[in-house]
Formats: sequence, structure tokens, C-alpha cells
Amino acid sequence: MDRRRFLKRSVMAAAALGTPFTLTAGNQTASDIKMAAWASGNRSGAVIDTNVHLFCYPFRDLKYGATTTLLDKLRRHNIGQAWTGSYTSLFHKNIDHVNAKLVKECREHGSGILIPFGTVNPVFPDWEEDLRRCHEEYQMPGLRLFPGYHGYTLEDESFKKLLQQAAERGMLIQVVVAMEDERMQHPLVEVPDVDVSPMPGILARVPDARVQLLHPFRHVRGDHLRSMIEETDVTFEISNLDGVAALERVMKGNHWYMPDLTIPPERLLFGSHMPYFPLENSLFKFMESPLSEKQLRLIRSENAERLLAAV
Amino acid sequence: MTDHTFAIDPENYGLPSRDELVELRIWDLHYHGLGRHNEVMPYFERMGVERVFSLDVARLTSGGESLSAAEAEENAKENLELLEQERDRMSGMFRIDPTRVDTTLELIEKLIENGPCVGIKTGTWLDEPITVAHPNYDPIVRKLAELEAIIYIHSGFMVGGDPRTYYGGTRVGEAHPGHVAELASRFPDVPIICGHQGADWELGIRAIRPHKNVLMEFSGMDPESGAVDFAVKELGADRLVWGCHAPSRSFSNELSKVYDSEMTKTERKLIFGENLRRISASIHRRKGISVEI
Repeated sequence: MDRRRFLKRSVMAAAALGTPFTLTAGNQTASDIKMAAWASGNRSGAVIDTNVHLFCYPFRDLKYGATTTLLDKLRRHNIGQAWTGSYTSLFHKNIDHVNAKLVKECREHGSGILIPFGTVNPVFPDWEEDLRRCHEEYQMPGLRLFPGYHGYTLEDESFKKLLQQAAERGMLIQVVVAMEDERMQHPLVEVPDVDVSPMPGILARVPDARVQLLHPFRHVRGDHLRSMIEETDVTFEISNLDGVAALERVMKGNHWYMPDLTIPPERLLFGSHMPYFPLENSLFKFMESPLSEKQLRLIRSENAERLLAAV
Repeated sequence: MTDHTFAIDPENYGLPSRDELVELRIWDLHYHGLGRHNEVMPYFERMGVERVFSLDVARLTSGGESLSAAEAEENAKENLELLEQERDRMSGMFRIDPTRVDTTLELIEKLIENGPCVGIKTGTWLDEPITVAHPNYDPIVRKLAELEAIIYIHSGFMVGGDPRTYYGGTRVGEAHPGHVAELASRFPDVPIICGHQGADWELGIRAIRPHKNVLMEFSGMDPESGAVDFAVKELGADRLVWGCHAPSRSFSNELSKVYDSEMTKTERKLIFGENLRRISASIHRRKGISVEI
């Protein structure tokens, strides 16, 4: 994917901000979602956090694990919108129940901040129905996929089918590359990090798919990252973009351990990996790196707005 | 010229201002930026850090080959000169080789007793199972204690092995917090720093908890919400020290661990610098560096 194509799609998505929306989802319409995104990005520099989870993490009670506590924390740090998945997606087999519970929690207690992103496991029977429900019944703007926990790779035909069908529905696809440092996993639960190397080839065949990688940077580096940047328009969430002044340096192409790789600001989206990570981790990146106003606006909310606008 | 301007107003995002960071008097025990020092240090100025401890001033191996103490000192010549130039904001430590006790003691004599360094770091890759629990460490720790030098132990409980266990991923010769606890019980009056939060902090913190002479440093690992709260609860804020692990890790990562935690400003100051100043004041004074705790 060349830069020209990426920018063209970006402009089209931005233009879509002005188009009407008709789908409804209980108390919250897709138009509401889009307008909330628009408002959040323009309200005193509010942040759109593209990587938040609700409910119980399987291996530890998290400090901000309760929805009300999480919301209080998000508000205190000027997070205007949070794209929210469910930790119960990781191991539960009744994935529709997981999605229904998530959307209910977001609607009833999310205060317009929490935007539900459902999960589909394409190796489960009848997964197309889960996809349909996420899109048509729950009005979710996107999906959050966990290949590492769900027993498939990106090369599997089932993933390609899911990507194709989600793209046809105009849904954003978030692929979770990792959830935790593999050195600290429970010994009985060895979860592989997701190998994203097939992605450029897949996206060449599904050009309309919009894909964001969550928590990618511990494992997506070197040639894999380069091909992702140069051959696709995949976007990257920044919660584990580490290294001193990493934001500044990765945009300049002189990151400490990813030299000669430049990620344009249009490809970077704020994400906190809350409540597993401290929210402050990603926010401090805006202090640590000298950034232009434009870079800040793009990463803080505008890139996220653009992605949702195309839904 | 260091850029002290931020694209955001930190207050709008619930973050401290630079002035507030400066007021904390941050001392960073984990600096790996020596090789690109002039490129890295402006970011420390930007974030208001008062002093860094370089852990890489000298080492007893090079390219997999063992060096004599004299060779290690010679190889460190440029670093030692830089350390002298930067003495107002940088302290020096070096890597030891616990498989060669006499050589290690000789280097301690050269670089700490008669040189500018203030402590040592363990963690050289070893083929032998010489962790810090091994008796080889006894004469080394005795000498360091006599000099009141800083003892930093690279440590980690890491999952792995076959069959996989909670501790099976720790390498041969690499210490985990259980080893640190063993060493600490033999030297109950010597301050020892258990580095990297012991990797798996939920287990590491409990392993060192009974040993009041062990402090925890938690750099170099992912930030996980609740970790520092847990450390304060089990160890107390006076047993935590802060490290940045720059440049491979970030201020964002390492500052967030502390700011995620509920604590008083006094406790925050202890963690960010006061505890480290307390245990290193004496050795710094021996080097002619006055330390106001």
C-alpha cells in the first residue's frame, strides 16, 4: 500500500463524517457513535482511546476493572471515547453472550464514552451469525479479534473469510497481537503472539478491509513492520510503543531499536491497553516526545475519528 | 538546547507538569544510554531527571571473551572520562563476573575503592549456575558492603521450561527473587536492590518481602496497573527505587507505574529518588559528590 492510496482513503473517510447514518442500536445509534467521536476529538483536546477492555481479566483482579472505576479514571484523564472490548472474549466459548453483555454494559453504564467492539472467533461454528449480530443487532462499529487466544493464524482460510465479510459490512477490524508479556503468562496457558507477516498478502486480496493492530510493537518489528507500513494501510495502536521519546523517533525514522523505519503520524492511534496497563503510560508519550500540533491531533483522536467515520 | 515545551498541557490530562517532576528530584538507577549519551540525555533534561546511574561503565567480558580487570578498566577509559565530565548528574556502575571472584574483586578495587564508580550490576550471561545465591557472591558482597557501594541484582521469575513452571524461564546463572532472598538472608544489614521487579512482580515482591534489607526496582518490564500499589502494600514505599531503563524503555512506561499507584507525595518522592539517595549518599560522598537527601 503506497502513501498515496492511504491518503486517498483517509480523505474519503474524513468526507464521510458529513454523511447521514440510519442504523440504530437501542439507545445509541451508529450516528451517535460517530458524533460522539467527532465531539470527543474536539472537546478540549479529548482523547480517543482505541484499546480498552471491560470485565474480569482471567489472571488478576485489575485495579480499574470495574466499569464505574474505569470510567472515572478515563474522565479524569480527558478520554472522550474508548473503543472497548471484553476480557471474557479471551476464553469464553459462548461468544454471543460475551458480545451481548459487552454492548449492554456500554449502553447502560458507558456514559457515551465506551464504544463496544465485539469479538468473532472464525473457527467456531456459525461464526457468520456472530458477525451478523455484532453488526446488525449490536450496531458495533468494529470487531476485536484475538487470534492468539482463539486458535487460528492469519493464514487460516477462516480468518480471510472473516476479514472479507467484515470488510463487506464496513466494519473496522482490530487484531490483538498480544495481551501480556509472554514471560509472565500463567505456565498452563501458553499464548502465542500473533504472526502478522501474512497480513500484506491477505489485504492485497481484501483491499477494502480496514485493520488496526493492537499492542503490536513488542513483536511486530523489522521487516514485518516495514512491509506492514509500505504494503498496507494498517494502523497501529501505541500502548506498547516503548523507548525514550518513541513517538517522536518512530515518526522520524530513528527509533532506538527500529532504525530506518518511519511510521507516518496518520498510521498511529492512541490506545492505553487499560485497565491492564496504566492509562498514564500512553498519555505520558505526549509529554515525553516533542510533537507538532498536527501530529498530536492525529494520534490523539483524528486518526480514530477517520477510521470510525468510514463505518 | 533541550526542548522543554510539550504539545499538551499535562494538567488537562491528569499528568504532572515538568516543574512537578523536577520537584520530585528524580534519580534514575537504570541508565543504558552510555553508547548514545549525547542523544539520550536531552530527554532526561526534558523530563526533569536530576541524576542517572549508568550501569555499563565497564564489564569483564567482551564479545564472549573474558577480560582481566586491567583490560576491563582500559576498555572503560572513555566511559570513565565521560563519567568525570558528567559527575554532577551521572553516577557509574559496572558489570561483574561472579564466576571469577578474584578478578571481580580486583575490578571493584580499581573502579570503586580507587575509582569513580559507586556500585555494581549483576546479570552477565553465564553458562554456569552461579546465581547470586551462590557462595561466590559472599566475598564480593562483603567487599561492596565495606565500601557502602550499590548492589543491583538483575532478577526475574519468568515462566518457561519443560514442563512449564512459574520459574522455568529464568536462564542458567540468572537470578530470580528467590535467589536474591537467599543472598539477603546471609547479609541482613547490607542494602541489596532486586532489579526489574523480579519480572513477575506478584511473585517477586512476595519472595523478597521478609528481607528488610532488599529494595525493589521495577524498570525494564511492561507497566502493569496495580504493581506499585502492591509493592507499596507489601514492602512499603521506603523499599522502592525507580529506574528508567533508557533508551530501550521509556519515561512513559516507568513514570506511569508510579503515577498509576495511589500514594502520597511524600511516598512518591521516596520512590523517585529519596530512597536511592539515602542508600548511596555515603559512597557518593567518598567520591566528593555531596548528596542532599
